[in-house]
Amino acid sequence: MQLFRIIMNNKSFYLLSYFIFISFSVFAQKDSVQLEEIVVTATRSERMLAALNMPVLLITQKQIQQIGALRLGQVLQEQTGLAIVNDHGQGIQMQGLAPEYTLILIDGEPLIGRTAGTLELSRLAVGNIKQIEIIKGATSSLYGSEALGGVINIITENPKQQKISFSSRYGTNQTSDFGLNASVQNKKWGGSIFMNRYGSLGYDFTPESFGKTVEPFSNYTFQSKIQYEFSPKIKLGISGRYFFENQESNFDVGNSQNPAFVTGKSSIKDFNFNPSVTWRISDKWKSYIRLYQSVYETKSKLNYISDNKEFDKTFFKQHFLRPELQTEYFISEKHILTLGIGNTWETVEATRYEGKKPFQTQYAYTQYEFLPTKKWNITFGSRFDNHTVYGSQLSPKASLQYDINKYIALRGSAGRGFKAPDFRQLYLNFTNNVAGYSVFGSEELPSLLQNLQAQNQIAEILLAPTEIGKLKAETSTSYNIGAKIKPSAKWTLNINLFRNELKNMIESQIVAIRTTGQSIFSYRNLNNIFTQGLETDMSFQLNQYIQIAGGYQFLEAKDREVLDKIEKGEIFKRDAHTFATTRVTKNEYGGLFGRSKHMFNFKILYENTQKGITANLRAVYRGKYGLGDRNGNLILDETNEYVVDYWTLHGTVSKDFWKKRLKGQVGVDNLLNYRDIQNILSLAGRLYWASIQWQIQKNTTK
Amino acid sequence: MKKNITFGVLLMALGFVACKKKENDPAPVVLEAKIVSNLPADPTVNSGTGQPQTATGKYTFYNLKDNAIVANTDSTSNKWDIGFRGTTIIINGGTVRSGQGGAYIYTGLFEDLKEIPATQEFATDVTNTQLAIPTGSGNGWYNYNPQQNWISPIAGKILVIKTGDGKYAKLEILSYYKDSPATPSATALARYYTFRYIYQPDGTKKF
Repeated sequence: MQLFRIIMNNKSFYLLSYFIFISFSVFAQKDSVQLEEIVVTATRSERMLAALNMPVLLITQKQIQQIGALRLGQVLQEQTGLAIVNDHGQGIQMQGLAPEYTLILIDGEPLIGRTAGTLELSRLAVGNIKQIEIIKGATSSLYGSEALGGVINIITENPKQQKISFSSRYGTNQTSDFGLNASVQNKKWGGSIFMNRYGSLGYDFTPESFGKTVEPFSNYTFQSKIQYEFSPKIKLGISGRYFFENQESNFDVGNSQNPAFVTGKSSIKDFNFNPSVTWRISDKWKSYIRLYQSVYETKSKLNYISDNKEFDKTFFKQHFLRPELQTEYFISEKHILTLGIGNTWETVEATRYEGKKPFQTQYAYTQYEFLPTKKWNITFGSRFDNHTVYGSQLSPKASLQYDINKYIALRGSAGRGFKAPDFRQLYLNFTNNVAGYSVFGSEELPSLLQNLQAQNQIAEILLAPTEIGKLKAETSTSYNIGAKIKPSAKWTLNINLFRNELKNMIESQIVAIRTTGQSIFSYRNLNNIFTQGLETDMSFQLNQYIQIAGGYQFLEAKDREVLDKIEKGEIFKRDAHTFATTRVTKNEYGGLFGRSKHMFNFKILYENTQKGITANLRAVYRGKYGLGDRNGNLILDETNEYVVDYWTLHGTVSKDFWKKRLKGQVGVDNLLNYRDIQNILSLAGRLYWASIQWQIQKNTTK
Repeated sequence: MKKNITFGVLLMALGFVACKKKENDPAPVVLEAKIVSNLPADPTVNSGTGQPQTATGKYTFYNLKDNAIVANTDSTSNKWDIGFRGTTIIINGGTVRSGQGGAYIYTGLFEDLKEIPATQEFATDVTNTQLAIPTGSGNGWYNYNPQQNWISPIAGKILVIKTGDGKYAKLEILSYYKDSPATPSATALARYYTFRYIYQPDGTKKF
């Protein structure tokens, strides 16, 4: 309790250093005590949410449990300014930027294994998550590549007092989920384990055709943490995670006259291992050493049903290794310095790559937090990445917060972000024999093109490899400015204006034509885009039991080249009925595909702690967004190129029994049964579910 | 304005295979846009026996002056101006052709092209793959949409053609599918061109 008091009247930042070191044990305390919310992602070290000078969204375990979410995507889809988009999997769109521009971390270390840039959100179970921290805006100054749009850091539970809990859930489509959480902690050491099985029979929007919309799947997650305290100054942590998923595949690869059914299985494996040592050298010094390793592997095999002959067999294997050293130095209560260095080795082997392809990045970062008075909080950061293929990248960032009074704080930040060219863009060697086109990564292109030329297979080179040159990193400059307003204990309001300017976007382009007339594509730094908008969040505690919360995002996302061409009158559209051709105007241009101009969410949460009852109703609105070009001018400009706007409504009710040892929860997702079977295949209809959670040993609290 | 009206009337005639010619006007002040609908460009035929769809591999040749198809046997003459096979368009000019033709792509509205600049160069069919009208999605007259498996003529791309006998014409492709469906559909029959053009018989570059 003494510790607790120190935190509550946290007037001295000097004490922060003490606090940081023992914050874990604080979290093991009774949760009825109102604690300050702690976030690590923004500075790579524990800081109080209220003191952060950039837009941060914190989603707590309690919130996750209240909505009854099982996978990460279900949590994120209800957050202000985040949209779930489907392109080679379910990914996240932040501040209008595609999934490839958001870095996803587990306990501060990156998840690998993206397909066409998308990191599948359903790979992540949320049953052992302490909290999810979301930083919006470029954060490459700390995290390097991919942190253009922002960073999502999933913080898993640390070992606490003895506890075992089971959960099981069943719902529509025979979707089931079983989880086990166990944790022990002694004076010196602690350990925790999490196991989860999630599976479903999937669903089918087109029963008349072969193959389901979502095929049956099941997956398993195992996660474990061990912590050992050698001395009050040195602490060892080892965490590991293993994920495995199997899914059926059924396709018709023929046509309506000549169906050709293929069937098979695909699997995903994902493994992370992260030993770390925390060393508190003195009152002022604190260092971490981490050695993170991850492997991601997919396999798929499809055979014809008719004769069991092979149709397709693919594999993909990525490996990631990164030692990192980070040191924090608390110079005084006004100055905190952070330094880090690291090295990343990555390799990929796959069906569509020639041999094993390596990458290496060396990096160093620094961050300086300056707190001149109680009202000001200024942070400067910068990171340098040196990459074996695309060269080097410097990513600075500055952010500040000024507390006008105890009700209003203003904040602003500006930073650079980047995304390194990925393996696909550099090394892909893929030829689609059916459709008859090829895609070559930029590093492979010169030699592959030369070979084809020597074999007289090239009719014309439209863009010579020398013209394309080396692929550069995609870069962004991101600006955020906003205010945090807390007029009373009941109200909170956040407003943020953002703008992201992206340059050198890597796009695929036709570079040559074969003598057969088929195209060869490669990758090139081409487009410049921008996204800008406003996001706002508010919550209001109506009374002891009821909380109302809501959020809204306004977004504009456009391609500069398209705007220039429209200005020059070089983009046209043709009326499909009258054939009249007109120039596309700026008003007609709907911007980038897949972006909703307006997104809302609205929640009513009820909680009665005495009776152990919670209930909530949540509404999520997604404004209309572009699906794809239909009139041949490649841009979004026709009404029929949009997916219509829609609402989804979700609700849950839960009740505690038997001194909180048993909890029953029922829920319904997509209550209105909204479906768009043409355009949104990932949105299943109405889903009912019920779950039970059983704590064998309740948290022993002091 | 006059031209627009003429065009409007012509549009109403769309759906008829070809339009009537006007030959009795000795000094045409206003050139008439002609619309050609559903010109087959080697459409694939389903044999119905479970075999893959087949095509003949032959071009459909067209004479713009006569507004008529030219027999495939006349492929080495200068009787034709433009040939269609699938998405590939050939022009009767260049080392692999026998006519005097050529072509380039003008970006703009069909109506806005009033005169071909004197300095404008015309590309020719140099080889069977290096053509005056480049092949491939986004290179020439169309864009291919892989999600919908659909070929769309790019609006604002006008083929400016020097004919087999050295006259000039401008041509705008309107549809690649039979009966020009307004929206992409899986059942539409591909390789049927609908286009409009203006042919200048007097040999000048004005339209």
